[in-house]
Amino acid sequence: MTSEEIIEKVKSDQGEDIQSAEVNLGDAVLFVAPGAVHKVLGYLKNDSDLNFDYLSHITGADYLNEERDPRFEVVYEFHSMDKNHSIRVRVGLEEEDPTVPTVSDLWRGALYPERELFDMFGFKVTGHPNLIRLIMPEEWGGHPLLKDYPLTIEDIAFSHNRELKQDLVKSKPPTR
Amino acid sequence: MSVTEQGLLEREKDSMTLNMGPQHPSTHGVFRIVLEMDGEVVDDAEPHIGFLHTGIEKTSEAKRYAHVIPMTDRLDYLSPPSNNLAFCLTAEKLLQTEIPERANYLRVIMCELARMASHLVWLATHALDIGAMTVFLYCWRERERILDLNEEISGVRMMTSYIRLGGVAKDATPGWLQGVRKFIDYLPAKIDEYERLLTNNPIWIDRTQGIGIMSREEAINWSMSGPVLRASGVDFDLRKQRPYSGYENFDFAVPLGKNGDIYDRYLVRVAEMRESRNIVEQALKKLPTGPYKVDDNKISLPNRNTLKSSMEALIHHFKLVSEGISVPKGETYVPVEGPRGEVGFYIISDGSNVPSRVKLRAPSFMAIPGMCAMMEGCFIADVVGIIGSIDIVMGEVDR
Amino acid sequence: MGLIDQAVDLVEMKVNDVQENVKDILDQADYELSGAVYDSILTTKVGKVIGWAQKNALWPATFGLACCAIEMMAMANSRWDAARFGAEVFRASPRQADLMIVSGRVSQKMAPVLKTIYDQMPEPKWVISMGACASCGGVFNNYAIVQGVDRVVPVDVYVPGCPPGPEALLYGIIKLQEKIMNEAGTKQAAKRVA
Repeated sequence: MTSEEIIEKVKSDQGEDIQSAEVNLGDAVLFVAPGAVHKVLGYLKNDSDLNFDYLSHITGADYLNEERDPRFEVVYEFHSMDKNHSIRVRVGLEEEDPTVPTVSDLWRGALYPERELFDMFGFKVTGHPNLIRLIMPEEWGGHPLLKDYPLTIEDIAFSHNRELKQDLVKSKPPTR
Repeated sequence: MSVTEQGLLEREKDSMTLNMGPQHPSTHGVFRIVLEMDGEVVDDAEPHIGFLHTGIEKTSEAKRYAHVIPMTDRLDYLSPPSNNLAFCLTAEKLLQTEIPERANYLRVIMCELARMASHLVWLATHALDIGAMTVFLYCWRERERILDLNEEISGVRMMTSYIRLGGVAKDATPGWLQGVRKFIDYLPAKIDEYERLLTNNPIWIDRTQGIGIMSREEAINWSMSGPVLRASGVDFDLRKQRPYSGYENFDFAVPLGKNGDIYDRYLVRVAEMRESRNIVEQALKKLPTGPYKVDDNKISLPNRNTLKSSMEALIHHFKLVSEGISVPKGETYVPVEGPRGEVGFYIISDGSNVPSRVKLRAPSFMAIPGMCAMMEGCFIADVVGIIGSIDIVMGEVDR
Repeated sequence: MGLIDQAVDLVEMKVNDVQENVKDILDQADYELSGAVYDSILTTKVGKVIGWAQKNALWPATFGLACCAIEMMAMANSRWDAARFGAEVFRASPRQADLMIVSGRVSQKMAPVLKTIYDQMPEPKWVISMGACASCGGVFNNYAIVQGVDRVVPVDVYVPGCPPGPEALLYGIIKLQEKIMNEAGTKQAAKRVA
């Protein structure tokens, strides 16, 4: 199916659960609220015409600098192995409570990307069997891919003012 | 029940925890896996990753688009051109540029050479893990020739950064093309040599056949990709299914496996090397003449000779070097078929010259949970074979 | 006095001279090294022999980290053939190795592991920092990467490049051999096994 046909079909079947749908640069894109994620994705997987049986990836995004509401977003990308088409699902998450339900019961390959979401962005994935840090060490503080997490800390090895050293350690602006 | 019998029964319930890695010769990098053993059988396998976390995704958010390309080389360091290509195609989709034919062909040649080099390293290390030392030495001999070709065209043996936004770094010389020609004439006999050593070797068959089986449904559900997916019988190759970069012009087969075990993955990869060789041969034959990068001075640097005569070219040169390419606002994802499977970048652009988010879809990362599922119920000796057959590269797992 | 007597006197004088010289040297050594006589006389010669043996039988640990590990493997292979310099016996266990080639970037999570492996290696041991990332963090100046492995373990030779070619790594190994030979029989060599 082409992207337009996919969007048509999803709109007619799940019109009340999706926020909007568009074709962006040739890709089918769905916008879904966090509450309806599991239902819509379950439909995408089990519908015989769509048959999105393959999870390509899950990623997060932080739109802090773009003054957007909601600030966070989770992006799912699915393929269908037999039908050879794809869809992208974007789920906006509020800054106060970035929570998204797990889809690892539908696609088992989602287990690790969801743990990565928790590790790198601090999103809570409800229903995930083992939601602990994946890449960073367990005692690590903060979530590196958030925009307000500094890229690097300037390390001052020596200072006469030892008590002021804490103030001297500053976050370094990114180099462009 | 006697006391001894009871003691034996209680001991049966005991399991041993075995730690492999992060510094282990056959985990292919810094990969740690904690195995819960019941005697010699694996009960549970839990991977620990992140020992090579480089923060490339975060660092990319502070670099201009052209500066991200060398960093993508260091993700999957066995086949840098596939990563370059995935990144460039994604950015070019946002820029909506058309790439000249010759650049597409040169990209395909580089990617296929990298696929062969990557599969050669895989075969070398996989065979070494299972105990075939000779294959290791033979495979590196051929790989060195590919690295020499890389060095000739880009100046570096491994991290080529040859594929750039809007085309390739520089045009291929006739001498280089002749070198590629020589290499692809030389390779098939060598692949036959590996096959003579392994394909019908009883030890190799005992160690690989019927081990690490993954069915078609499981492979799809666990998000496996590339040769692992195709060894399980799924006919999904992005070069065929969604041709990019002119792959629709080439005639090649997609090798498929039946059983989805380690042996099938071996057969699929060896057949893929032959197919890659065919693609390069066709590309050399059909290589068109013309420009090797787009004629848009907003994306690629103007010709050096025009700088002294054309004001406009000078301004464009200055802008490109000092400011970089500004990519229109938007987000997109383009997957390509790397040696390990679906490599793709999801780029969010905020309209400036710096990407707002760069995400790599890494085939090795997605394959790790499935790999551990494969290990349950197999013997400890087969764990090494299973890790080898998935062909993980920690650079792209941890990013 | 016959010629023989003259010769005997001469020899005696020489012997006395030598004895006094040796005594002087010994006293001086005694004064300088406070008892470490054997360091200065015996082990200079034996130490050189030991150093020569050590430099020609460097056993690297199989410690691949990132991209540079691939070039390290290339160095051990037939084309570059590290065996010519006695450094081809890669050992999987750090207990059997005396050279650690830090091949690639060291992350914050890996640094404690790297230190453990270094501590597990028997003395004397040497470290080669291979590539830009291991030497100074390379292009990855960020939260995740240790900015130079010399913050974790002492480094003997730095090999630049991203990644350095096998020939560069071989040059690094030759430089390390020179260093071992120059150190042989000196206090530095004694310190390594102390």
